Amino acid sequence: MIDDPVVASDLGAQWPYALATLLFAAGMWLLLPRGRRGGRRLGAGLAAAGLALLVLLVHFGLTIHDRPPRSVEFTVPFPALGSWAHDGVFLILAVLTVGSAICSVTFRSPVYCAIWFAMTLLGTAGLFFYQGSQFLGVATIVVYAGAILVTFLFVLMLAQPEGHAFYDRVSWEGPLAACAGAVMVGLLTMTFAAAFAPNTEQQGSPPRYGWLEPAIAAEAPAARNENILATEHVASLGRTLFSTHLIAVEVAGTLLLVALVGAIAIIAHSQKTDASSITNEPAALRPRSTGGAHG
Amino acid sequence: MAEIQLVYDYLVVGALLFGIGLVGFLARRNMIVMFLAAEMMLQGVSVSLVAWGRLHNHWGGQMLVLFILTVAACEAGIALALVLSLYHRSGRLDIAFWQTLREANQPAFVDQELPDEAHPKPTWPELPPSGIEPRVDDEILVEREHRIHV
Amino acid sequence: MSNTGFDTDVLMVLIPAFPLAAALIIGIFGRYVLGERSHWPCVLAIAASFVCSCLLLNEVVSLAHESHEGHGVGLEITNTLWTWADVVDAYRPAAPAAGSPAIAPAEANFNIDITLRADPLTCIMLCMVTFIATLVAIYASGYMHGDPGYWRFFAYVSLFVFSMTSLVSVSNFALLYVFWEAVGVCSYLLIGFWYEKPEAAAAGKKAFLVNRVGDFGFALGVFLIWTTYGTLNFHDTTAPDGSIVMGVLGQARLSNPALFVGGATATLIALGLMTGAAGKSAQFPLHVWLPDAMEGPTPVSALIHAATMVTAGVYLVTRCTPLFYMSPDAQMVVAVIGGFTALLAGLIALTQNDLKRVLAYSTVSQLGYMFLSLGTGTLIGIVGGMFHLFTHAFFKALLFLGAGSVMHAMHHIIDMRRFSGLRHIMPWTFRTFWFGSLALAGVVPFAGFWSKDVILAAVHERGHDSGVFEVLYFGALFTAFLTAFYTFRALFMTFYGPTKVPHEAHHAHESPPAMTVPLIILAVCSLVVGAWFEYTHGFAAFLVQTPSLAYAPVYGEHGVHQDVFHWDIAITSTIVALAGVGLAAFLYLGPRTEVTRLGEFLQSPVGFRVYQLSYGKFFIDQIYAVTIVWPLRLLALLSYWFDRWVIDGLVNSVGRIPAAIGSAIFRPLQTGMVQFYGLAMMMGLLFLLLSMLIWQPLG
Repeated sequence: MIDDPVVASDLGAQWPYALATLLFAAGMWLLLPRGRRGGRRLGAGLAAAGLALLVLLVHFGLTIHDRPPRSVEFTVPFPALGSWAHDGVFLILAVLTVGSAICSVTFRSPVYCAIWFAMTLLGTAGLFFYQGSQFLGVATIVVYAGAILVTFLFVLMLAQPEGHAFYDRVSWEGPLAACAGAVMVGLLTMTFAAAFAPNTEQQGSPPRYGWLEPAIAAEAPAARNENILATEHVASLGRTLFSTHLIAVEVAGTLLLVALVGAIAIIAHSQKTDASSITNEPAALRPRSTGGAHG
Repeated sequence: MAEIQLVYDYLVVGALLFGIGLVGFLARRNMIVMFLAAEMMLQGVSVSLVAWGRLHNHWGGQMLVLFILTVAACEAGIALALVLSLYHRSGRLDIAFWQTLREANQPAFVDQELPDEAHPKPTWPELPPSGIEPRVDDEILVEREHRIHV
Repeated sequence: MSNTGFDTDVLMVLIPAFPLAAALIIGIFGRYVLGERSHWPCVLAIAASFVCSCLLLNEVVSLAHESHEGHGVGLEITNTLWTWADVVDAYRPAAPAAGSPAIAPAEANFNIDITLRADPLTCIMLCMVTFIATLVAIYASGYMHGDPGYWRFFAYVSLFVFSMTSLVSVSNFALLYVFWEAVGVCSYLLIGFWYEKPEAAAAGKKAFLVNRVGDFGFALGVFLIWTTYGTLNFHDTTAPDGSIVMGVLGQARLSNPALFVGGATATLIALGLMTGAAGKSAQFPLHVWLPDAMEGPTPVSALIHAATMVTAGVYLVTRCTPLFYMSPDAQMVVAVIGGFTALLAGLIALTQNDLKRVLAYSTVSQLGYMFLSLGTGTLIGIVGGMFHLFTHAFFKALLFLGAGSVMHAMHHIIDMRRFSGLRHIMPWTFRTFWFGSLALAGVVPFAGFWSKDVILAAVHERGHDSGVFEVLYFGALFTAFLTAFYTFRALFMTFYGPTKVPHEAHHAHESPPAMTVPLIILAVCSLVVGAWFEYTHGFAAFLVQTPSLAYAPVYGEHGVHQDVFHWDIAITSTIVALAGVGLAAFLYLGPRTEVTRLGEFLQSPVGFRVYQLSYGKFFIDQIYAVTIVWPLRLLALLSYWFDRWVIDGLVNSVGRIPAAIGSAIFRPLQTGMVQFYGLAMMMGLLFLLLSMLIWQPLG
């Protein structure tokens, strides 16, 4: 199947990624609601181990390849901090984001899920800030955490029964879902690793490795940070938004209007019907006792 | 710090958010949680886009994220309306309730019975009455039936 | 080229264009706008077409006078409108024969030029067709009055006139075939005009299918012409390099008889064309459709199935005279088929009780006469055939329209046994019917006498050197006797005797002027056309200017100026005709006791039951049913069962495989769970990513 010895050996060398993926998958499975207690600490441990391995592989370059120094240098947005502090800030933000994301999808109570999702959003906003995208960070907090999430909570208050509903206490095909997500992460990471691998040989290496760095290096390094990291960040962003992307802005506005009308129409229509209109479903599907909720 | 390394890190964080969101979307059965998970996948993509834009020094990445925000807002409105509508019809937020798309001769998916969740029963210290005994409202009694240990 | 101010090119286009426009107008507006006025576009367009035909005839006649007679190449005007098909380098002869003159180009393009031609033959046909059609259209406006399909009828008639004028105008075998089929379609539509009547629908189908047999032979003939001559054009064309490309019947080829193929090829070509002509002109053995075609409205019978369309076969054979001339065998076949058909149809017509059917068999018989005449292969014979075609169109249309008039009055009852003595009720129909009958019987000085006399003379002339033609001559004489007899039998049965009308037609009356006026015009024509043309020799002298007839071997040394009027033949045929009339009068005027006795005798075994033979049309339909129709139906049934159970079974079995796979594998996948679909989607995405990682370079 794989004739190229370089590729073959390289695939063989991907086992740390595979291990991280496996650990992560197992952890996620154990963390997901399974209808019974127990195993969640172990799951949290496994997931954390997988993530830690991933951090080591990706961020600290723990790899079986030799890693020559990077050629393209980077202007930091926080000049007051040293290199070590940079790493620390990023790592804290990343772990906060990913950790709260895991909590968000694994907690049984939807309210907790929403709150942890807010935490994820805050972490993401931090990551945006770290990249110099101040406007996006603020917008994420305001729009997502402030507006969308609060709407979620309203809906939850309207619809959520007290206690844990039985459908919050079980997962649908938890192992498969966890595997799918983990394999997704693993594959993407391996792809990134291949693309971002240092270009050790300028000529002889196959094109699927390390193609990104020379491509970036070919771009004019002088102008690299003038645009995105300009002093008048928001003003530049606005200029771009309302000149280059003006039509897209108009379309997005129309979309918002249509969505507004659609949401009102759906709700107005659904008010006419109620649960009693659903009579053709088998008895097994009817709402039933949710255990402790009414017990 | 190497610029490329940062992009790499961000992409992996984005992939993780996407993957976790995926797990949540596939495994959770509460429609609102599924929706949260879908939003999380959008966040993962947003993170990647910002990183790419940063690398190429191009506004396109951030622009796309802005529009993702817009679309997410629309999506939230519509989806919550749909969720509420479905809740009105079925009386619960369970996505597994809606399986009428299945083939006519397929058996319906039915949950296994779960043991009741053990609620820690609240116990209050039994103090000797002093002064006037408070009058307990009947409605509160009914509502808190399962909380009050008689 | 013109000396009276009319452009022949324009006239040639206008003649078919008027009826086509009328057909389109009636077809589009007839139902809702025109309604009962639908005949106006039809009548006006055909009349305009007739005027144009006369002007064209006038032009061609004056050109004919200018050119020297007997030039050997005749007179033709062609007008190429556009090229329909043009296939480069389509013709490659298999192996050119050494030593003989090249009858075909070494290589040729296949092109179908939309070319209209004008020559004496075409002009005569055009004038005749449009004249009869005008009168029939006027007549039909009275006859068809009140019919729910009034507009449809006139649309079809206009379309037919367009097709028929195009058929005689085109200068290419491929186009000739196209319009040959077009008139067939119009005939089908008009026979089945009352399609809700099962007999009419069946008759239309029968006409169409029998014509298919003939057209198949015609197509083979055309194919053979293409492979032999490398062109389908009648006329010569000029290649881009200035050289002349010889047409099949072009003047260049006609000037040198060695340029025609002889031998078996010529015979096959001629027989193929003859098959087509026999189908269209209802010659034995393909004559069975024409009597059934009388299910159509009577004006249609008069126009299409008596005067014009059925003569297309005669036209075709005349047009292709040089091709037939190369094969004396084929000419003999034409003559024998014609003579046999004439006799057979005459015998059948003796006993039919249906007035229209008598006339239909009479038409078949007269067409047989024409083929007999064409089969003689002599110029006088061919001219005689065309002359008979011309005169026959008038008096047969007259007779059919008269029969239609009777039918109109008798409330669509046409059985002669149910009415009699109509001469008092319908005086004009009665008088004109007399004219038509005398012309058909061939009594001096009516049109039929002159043309029949030419035919008999031509056959008699060939009889000097051929025993077959000797026999055919006597057969034709006997047919003339039969013709006179059955014609006057019909006349006497219908119009003489005690006045009797069927009870359905208690308000029997003479037809309206729209119907009687055309009858009177046609009656006058039946009286004068024959004598006038015979007296002036104008018809023959003009017709032989047609390239195909001016062809040297046909034309001979004297042309038609030799004295063709033989007193002995004229007297003989007159005696025969009068004998037929007299016998009919003897049997059918008066108490009819003799005819009853004769009928009983002929029905008895002593009389060999010849009455049943004639009355049953020699049982040809039944023979066809047993020998052709039933075996084909059996085959069709077998094919149906094979298709239904074997082929369909195979297909269904193949179809069940995916169905089984689907129910075994894919159906259970449709759980209706939203998350399952999400998972499946994601699995697909992952598989794609993985395969990309493994097999596909990312750069």
